[in-house]
Amino acid sequence: MGRLRQKGKAGAAKAYVTRSQAVKKLQCSLADFRRLCILKGIFPRDPRHRKKANKGSSAPASFYYSKDIAYLAHEPVLRKLREHKAFAKKLSRALGRGEWSSAKSLEDHKPVYTLDHIIKERYPTFIDALRDIDDALCLVTLFANLPSNSRIPPALVEVCSRLSYEWQLYVMRSQTLRKVFLSIKGIYYQAEVLNQPITWLVPYMFTQNVPSDVDIRVMLTFLELYQTLLGFVFFKLYTDIGLVYPPPMDISKDEAAAGVGAFSLQTKTATIPETVSKKDVVEVAGKKISGKDVRKTIKSIEASTSNMTNSEDIPEAVANEKDDFDKNDIMADDDFVPQPSKTQSDENIPIALPTLKSLMEQSSSINTQLFSPYTFYLSRETPRPLMEFIVRSFGGRIGWPVSQGSGSPVQEDDESITHIIVDRPVQQQQTQDQSQDQTFPHVEETEERRRLRLRRKYVQPQWVVDCINKGKILPEGPYEQGKTLPPHLSPFGMEDGAYNPEEAMEAEGEGEPVSSDEEDEPVLVDEDNRVDIPEDVDTGDASALRAAELKAEAAGVDYDTFEKAVKKKQKKRQAKDQVSDTPPAPEADMRKMLLSGKKRKLYEKMKYTEQKKVQEKETLTKRREQLKKEKKKKTSST
Amino acid sequence: MLTTKKRKLSTGKLSHFQCDGVLIPFVETIPAAEDDSDENSIAELDLGSDSENEEDDEDLIADSEDESSNEIITSLEEKYSVSLQPKTIISEITGQPKRVYPPIEPDYDSDSSTEDQLNRVGNIPMHWYDDLPHVGYDINGKRILRPARGDELDKFLETVDQPSAWTSAFDENTQTEKPLTAEELDIIRRLRENEIPDANFDPYEVFITEGKPEIMPLSAAPEPKRRWVPSVWERKKVMKIVRAIRQGRILPSKPKTTISRPFYSLWDGPSEPSASTYLSAPKVKLPTHAESYNPPPEYLPNKDAISEENTFVPKSYSALRLVPAYDRFINERFDRLLDLYLAPRVQRRRLPQGVTNADDLIPQLPDPNTLRPFPTYKVLSINHQTRVRAISVSPGGEWVVSGDDSGNIRLWEVLVGRTVKTWHMDSKIMAIEWCPKKDVSVFIVGTEADLYLYVPPTVDQTSMTRTHSTLTTPVTANTESPVAWTISSTKSLDEPLLTIKLPTNSGPIKQITWHRRGDYFASVSGYQNQGTVWIHQLSKRHSQAPFRKMKGVVQKVLFHPHKSHFFVATQRYVRIYDLAAQTLIKTLMSGIRWISCIDIHPSGDHLIVGGYDRKLCWFDLELSDKPYKILRYHSRALRSLAFHPNYPLFASTSDDGTIQIFHARVFNDLLTDPLIVPLKILRGHTLNDGLGVLEGRWCPGQPWLVSAGADGLVFALSLAQFFLSSTFLRCIDWLI
Repeated sequence: MGRLRQKGKAGAAKAYVTRSQAVKKLQCSLADFRRLCILKGIFPRDPRHRKKANKGSSAPASFYYSKDIAYLAHEPVLRKLREHKAFAKKLSRALGRGEWSSAKSLEDHKPVYTLDHIIKERYPTFIDALRDIDDALCLVTLFANLPSNSRIPPALVEVCSRLSYEWQLYVMRSQTLRKVFLSIKGIYYQAEVLNQPITWLVPYMFTQNVPSDVDIRVMLTFLELYQTLLGFVFFKLYTDIGLVYPPPMDISKDEAAAGVGAFSLQTKTATIPETVSKKDVVEVAGKKISGKDVRKTIKSIEASTSNMTNSEDIPEAVANEKDDFDKNDIMADDDFVPQPSKTQSDENIPIALPTLKSLMEQSSSINTQLFSPYTFYLSRETPRPLMEFIVRSFGGRIGWPVSQGSGSPVQEDDESITHIIVDRPVQQQQTQDQSQDQTFPHVEETEERRRLRLRRKYVQPQWVVDCINKGKILPEGPYEQGKTLPPHLSPFGMEDGAYNPEEAMEAEGEGEPVSSDEEDEPVLVDEDNRVDIPEDVDTGDASALRAAELKAEAAGVDYDTFEKAVKKKQKKRQAKDQVSDTPPAPEADMRKMLLSGKKRKLYEKMKYTEQKKVQEKETLTKRREQLKKEKKKKTSST
Repeated sequence: MLTTKKRKLSTGKLSHFQCDGVLIPFVETIPAAEDDSDENSIAELDLGSDSENEEDDEDLIADSEDESSNEIITSLEEKYSVSLQPKTIISEITGQPKRVYPPIEPDYDSDSSTEDQLNRVGNIPMHWYDDLPHVGYDINGKRILRPARGDELDKFLETVDQPSAWTSAFDENTQTEKPLTAEELDIIRRLRENEIPDANFDPYEVFITEGKPEIMPLSAAPEPKRRWVPSVWERKKVMKIVRAIRQGRILPSKPKTTISRPFYSLWDGPSEPSASTYLSAPKVKLPTHAESYNPPPEYLPNKDAISEENTFVPKSYSALRLVPAYDRFINERFDRLLDLYLAPRVQRRRLPQGVTNADDLIPQLPDPNTLRPFPTYKVLSINHQTRVRAISVSPGGEWVVSGDDSGNIRLWEVLVGRTVKTWHMDSKIMAIEWCPKKDVSVFIVGTEADLYLYVPPTVDQTSMTRTHSTLTTPVTANTESPVAWTISSTKSLDEPLLTIKLPTNSGPIKQITWHRRGDYFASVSGYQNQGTVWIHQLSKRHSQAPFRKMKGVVQKVLFHPHKSHFFVATQRYVRIYDLAAQTLIKTLMSGIRWISCIDIHPSGDHLIVGGYDRKLCWFDLELSDKPYKILRYHSRALRSLAFHPNYPLFASTSDDGTIQIFHARVFNDLLTDPLIVPLKILRGHTLNDGLGVLEGRWCPGQPWLVSAGADGLVFALSLAQFFLSSTFLRCIDWLI
């Protein structure tokens, strides 16, 4: 006889503890427990047998691993939280007694915890941390856009906006942005850093109100963790590409609403003056540049050399192009300016390492220099943070009017501007005047202006986003000002077999003439009747086909009609096959009966999801057809 | 009045002096009050009483001695030439000032302390005199009468008349009002104001001592150095702090703790393995086309299709500037955060290797078409009108007997369906079983009470005679048995040749099963919840019950095809007994709630068990006492199971009205698992009272199946090719 086993002494009963037990064990309040769980990343578990885990009770409870809780009990943050509790008592006592000086000194020596060790614990490697910054970026960008109030101090909002700018700077600098999606929930961005896709969501620029049913304390605790996480991640990312972290911020520029432009990226050798560091921001792109681009670049350099010598505001793209140009052709020029050449040689070392990676990336057909030949100018009503970020991430230059903030590197009358991004309807007056842009007040058009206007292209913001998602420059035609835009599709891959609207659109483009053919059918019928195509033609029997062809030729049927008839026959046959393919279900059913219970359940689940997908696809195609019919009716009625 | 009182007091005093004839120097440390004050009177003060205790006769007495009191005192002073006032001197012993009173001669009038005490009762509780007319005795032993006390009006008048009434107190000793002196009033005032009662006492008197107090025993040790030399170590410690402050290591006011800490390279060192229990949170689903601000039109919902439950409704805006703020942005972010810390994370079970879609899960089995022959078509049907429970196929496979609930037994040819003979009995036919012996042609019919042996007319003469001789040759009477065998007197084939009468109340026959040699057969009989097993021996015409007591209700029994084993299926278990050794070999745990049928593979190594709970269990008898495979494919209870004696087939019939044919190949080597392939579902029987196909039997030597349904039909199921030949044969038969 084995040893007697007591109930609740082993197995699930010991491996799990309920939340209330955990709180009791840790001797902290529920709020502190929640804080700890958030910071340490401890989450409830689902025991296989809830009743066993709950010592025979089936009352609803959330369970944690007892080992997790034991692990929490040794957490330095927990000790700090206890100290904070004592501090709060002392402080309230001091305030109650009116001992202001002791209250002040208490406040000065308030216990503060750090989360460094937690970050290291939760993310043992850098990649682990990078994989998990999606939520952190989302939350930080949200708080950067929140109005400050009693619960959200302005300093916090400032830190968050700073972090989000730092991230944008990094993405622009490393040119890792891959996809952008304008959704009705906000703007989704996807960057690929160290082969990790990182997706974050940025709300549209409106004042957000925190709803009453949202517990802001939870969000703030998460934010506390995420600030630390992002700080360390950014530090690593910046230092890995040889930049100083944190990037210094120009307060005067920030106050003038320069946005991202208020920050300047500096290389590790901090002694270099700012102008040079500005120039160093540029990363070498291993992309082939056509002769046309080079010529254009030379022109732009020539245009900007005059102010380059003294002004600090060198647009990054220009500097970028200049660097490319320098390296390719006039390396000797660098010798005259000792400092930049030194920094360049310095920079070559850190850049030399990732070249293989960058080459690999380029082989996967991602054109990170998509907009490098172009210069954009924003119209007043377009969202500048969005456009600036995405255009600069893909190597383009961008300028904006003063109403959108200071620090525009390109002025409105710049010769190099190729695209103007507008998001407003064409006005009546202009249509008379052949779609003149509204960005220029239409009073009287000088010859110079007219020349510029004709040279530039006026596109809606969706064009830029669609170009990025497609990875190529799309024709501007459908995106011109005032035109009804083509649908904006999600660049995040759909699952296999799901409904693909792009395919449907293409099919429609081709399909319409086919349908017209079908309408013509009655005319062709008698002809078809004459073309006697034997049954076995469609089965793919080549000799039979040949024979039929000869026969048709003899009968005087021209080849096109014969082809058509054969195709139709084949189509019919295929349709028939599809119909006849469906019945062998019972056999599958019979084989299904040999599945074990576990597998049968899995099979049924999988079938269900497959069915659901198919259904979804069907409804969408049906809806599309219905819309098409309606459209046709409308056009025919009008 | 006051004057009278005073007079009286002084008189008392005088008499006191006269009485106490002892001269005692009166010494007090506290400065005393004036001589004519009464020291003890404070204790006896009754401030609350305003009563006036005046008495006329006392007044009279006092009047006479009014002037004399003062004169006496002065005269006394003159007489003794000593002052009665105290003298303050410095004590020789203590060195403190003290008052010394002049000594008093111990003769009359020497003591003034009791001078005014008229009443000489002493210090006793005065209430002892409460009931008496007097209040005490004077020095002469005369009674002092209680002074008369006026009524309340008098008292009141007195308080009005006398301004000093409120400063007088009731003297219990004399039972009169006594005005308080100024000193006494001062003492009262001091007491009330929490001051020291004695006016002359100075609490802040300078206490002068000479030198330090002496502590005994005195020590002659010299004063230690540390008392006056500054400490080196202390200096060193202080200097350490000073230096630290100077160097800036210690800041006089620490910087505030809220200053943000700089970031550093956290992931430089070697990485530690993470906690194994951590599951990273799943990422948020990426947005689909439907979430676009300008989705393709088919994603926009119909106006009527918008449902309340779906919070997210795709919308389309013609330009980016028209897109409003998303109102649930913060809520969705918050929900995500809640998921991150509140939702239990579970590792999702991975799909088995190589499975990408659902159809990959279905096992790869050979095509049923390659496993022919098996019955696919209903060839012919026999209509019994009432429910057919029992059918049996002859060992040659040509004949079938079927029996129904109205008592009809029909013998017909399976090939063409020609009925050769019918019998009629008065009870339901519960079971029919054909004897497997080739040379003896007989079948047993089980009714609601007894067993009957019939000889079919389809056999040739030699076989017939052999059958008769086997069954009717007299046998030596064995031991007594409750089962009676009777041989029919007539030779007619219409009557059963043998009748086996089971004990009364043993219930209807549930099952009959033959041993392969055809000498023994077993029957199970009983009502709903009982089952009695009898084993009958044909050659000896003897029956015996192998089990004295059975655990559980016996459902079915079975002989092993070539061993002396006997299977007994109770409600949940199948027990295997060795009949020769008379022992229990094994109990098979099927997991079926209620076993309905059981059959054994001709090889004897595999057993299938069916249950009313729709399960079919395949047991590998060599392997385990648990099922090798459990199948559940019928939608209603299983009714019968049958292995084909020659072909690798088995069939199951069920209450859902279907017959399912399986290919069941058993391999000789122990490593290969038996191959079970579902081949065909045969339908055709209709349900009747919730009962479907009650029995299915294979024809030995042919892949044909005979099935009996609750709808009264008996089907012969066969191959498609056979269909033509059978009809052809039938035509021939009719011609004949």
